[in-house]
Amino acid sequence: MQLEMCNIEKSFGAKEVLKGVSLKAQGGRALGLLGRNGAGKTTSIRIIMNVFPPNAGEILFDGKPIDYSQVQFGYLPEERGLYAKQKIMDQLLYFAQLKGMSRKAAQESILYWLDRLEMTDYKDQKLETLSKGNQQKIQLITALAHDPQVLILDEPFTGLDPVNARLLEDVVREEIQKGKIVIFSSHQMAYVETFCDHIAILNDGEIVLEGDLESIKRCYPRNRLIVKSVDREKILAELGKQYEMVQDKDRLIVTLADEEDKGEVMEILSRSYNIDALSVLEPSLNDIFVQYAGDPPAEEKTKEEARA
Amino acid sequence: MKQFPTIFRFELKTLLQEKSYKVMTILGVMLILIIMFFPRIVEQFQNKDADSKDRPLMLLAGEHKEEALPLFEETFQSYEVQLTDLSIPEIEDEIRDEVVKYAFDLDDLEAYRYFVKNVSLSDSNLAQADTLVQILYRADALTKAGLSPAEVARINMAPVHGEVVTLGKDQAQNYFYTYILLMLLYMVITMYGMTVAMRVATEKSSRAMELLITSSDPLGLMFGKIIAACLAGFIQMALLLGTGIGSYFINKKYWEDNRIVSSMFEIPPELLVYMLIFFFLGFFLYAFLFGAAGSLVSKIEQVNTVATPITFLLMIGFMGTLISMSVDVDNLAMKILSFVPFTSPMAMFTRIAMSTVAWYEIAISIGLLIITTLLIGVFTAKVYRIGVLLYGTPPKPKALWKALRQA
Repeated sequence: MQLEMCNIEKSFGAKEVLKGVSLKAQGGRALGLLGRNGAGKTTSIRIIMNVFPPNAGEILFDGKPIDYSQVQFGYLPEERGLYAKQKIMDQLLYFAQLKGMSRKAAQESILYWLDRLEMTDYKDQKLETLSKGNQQKIQLITALAHDPQVLILDEPFTGLDPVNARLLEDVVREEIQKGKIVIFSSHQMAYVETFCDHIAILNDGEIVLEGDLESIKRCYPRNRLIVKSVDREKILAELGKQYEMVQDKDRLIVTLADEEDKGEVMEILSRSYNIDALSVLEPSLNDIFVQYAGDPPAEEKTKEEARA
Repeated sequence: MKQFPTIFRFELKTLLQEKSYKVMTILGVMLILIIMFFPRIVEQFQNKDADSKDRPLMLLAGEHKEEALPLFEETFQSYEVQLTDLSIPEIEDEIRDEVVKYAFDLDDLEAYRYFVKNVSLSDSNLAQADTLVQILYRADALTKAGLSPAEVARINMAPVHGEVVTLGKDQAQNYFYTYILLMLLYMVITMYGMTVAMRVATEKSSRAMELLITSSDPLGLMFGKIIAACLAGFIQMALLLGTGIGSYFINKKYWEDNRIVSSMFEIPPELLVYMLIFFFLGFFLYAFLFGAAGSLVSKIEQVNTVATPITFLLMIGFMGTLISMSVDVDNLAMKILSFVPFTSPMAMFTRIAMSTVAWYEIAISIGLLIITTLLIGVFTAKVYRIGVLLYGTPPKPKALWKALRQA
């Protein structure tokens, strides 16, 4: 399965929101759709889901123009909310039936997911009686119950405690393993790196970077080494003059003038010192994001400030 | 629109299960039943009193008491009417001691006296006695002039019968039911129209809309809501009207003498058909507008502001009709209102109910209403499509118009 956006353009009034966006998402892999607020992520998602048509370009599914009666989407919107005063089972049934399921099939599937997400006890309660995290789990069921081919998750981890986050991680992994197309939009780069081997960065309505995360990282110069060792001071004193070195908490970052020297330096280090870990320092997704999309997203910024 | 049945079922179930809906319907039905069955219940108690021969005592005293007895007995059937030879002070004592409830001193027909302990607000005995004493006085005068008692009786009982030849409609007869039906129309359209606006705004403010617009077609969402609200309103209206009419016919004999009440329920069946036509068309016309208004706001608190022009439009039709009803239902303003689609559901309906309207006038009015409702339906569906995706302050009419033209 493959879902493609081909040269999608969209304007609202004079504002050009998408300027020829093209990207590909494949079954069995998760695509990380990244971008700052207002970059055009939600508009892209809405066009993919046929909420409104693009001004130009097309959406392809398996190479052909998409037939929305044949392709099912599951969507967890960033702005969450269901009917606060309705019973959980009633509204889950409603949404599943809207997706074309029969009542019986919907019931079976919903009961399975309620059990899977440890929410069965709440099925006859009104939504408003649940905690925010639990409401989010209920909303996730609306995206999963009808077993869609394409799963679009917009900031799925916000508001979840670590235990629930782990539960959700497992569910997302299972869905990827089932061969589904998963599009994952988030500002929490750590989660994106965990799930997505493919990313697309949107900036101001344009795709500024798209591709395999591993290959993208490989494109960066591999002249920096990260060294974890109890002999940090010794290494710094003995090799500090020869190579550019910075101490970063309990590790040393060595920057080589020439990438070719990498092997030699690694050998010296492992031979002469007590080394715990030694590897090439790859750029983090956050570094890549900042480089392509401008300032880091607010959340990451705060983390970095806290670190500093 | 393929999800329409699912949406319709969900919306209807939600509306019918709402506490306010259930409470209002049950209370309304109970209130009507209590009012309509009240005379029957009261009679049950009165009957018991009569069976135990415990009717209040009414005494007749004075020179003319004997001639008066048959007349008083016939008129005051709920009292035990008896002749007495007691003196006036003795009668007064009996009344003070509540042995006797009422007494008449008929010594002088030109100045008879009525004795009672406390005069109640609804005491009509004196007024009735006035009529009876007048008859007695005339009979007395005629007898003195030489007429035989049989002739006197014939003159007094001469049957006089007046007949009204109504060529159009009797407004005294149809005023009350028209009033009730008009109120029902206005209230149901306003209430359920607002319900549609609130439901749309709730979905937007709770962000359930984010999921709905990606799961279904906006048109299906709008029509599902509107038709469900229409049916919920219709069910409630039918229950109230049905209970009223049904319980009236069960208790007809108790109400027949009450002209106001009996005229309320003698609704011609064809008028109920017109009521349905104008209810459905008027409801859809306004519900479309209310739905679109609801789609333009992001918070429930904003609904009233956006819906005000619509409720104002409804009010013009309602007030215009209501005022004209008590003056002249066929005045020029009413004639205009009965063709303007936003006011015709109430104005034309009232004219049909209270006056004589040519068939082609009715046809033109309904035709205009159908066309306008369809056009408004298409227009508001476009507004809705755009509105549900907009968040923030409701768009200004100019901005909305621009967005509509681009859509």
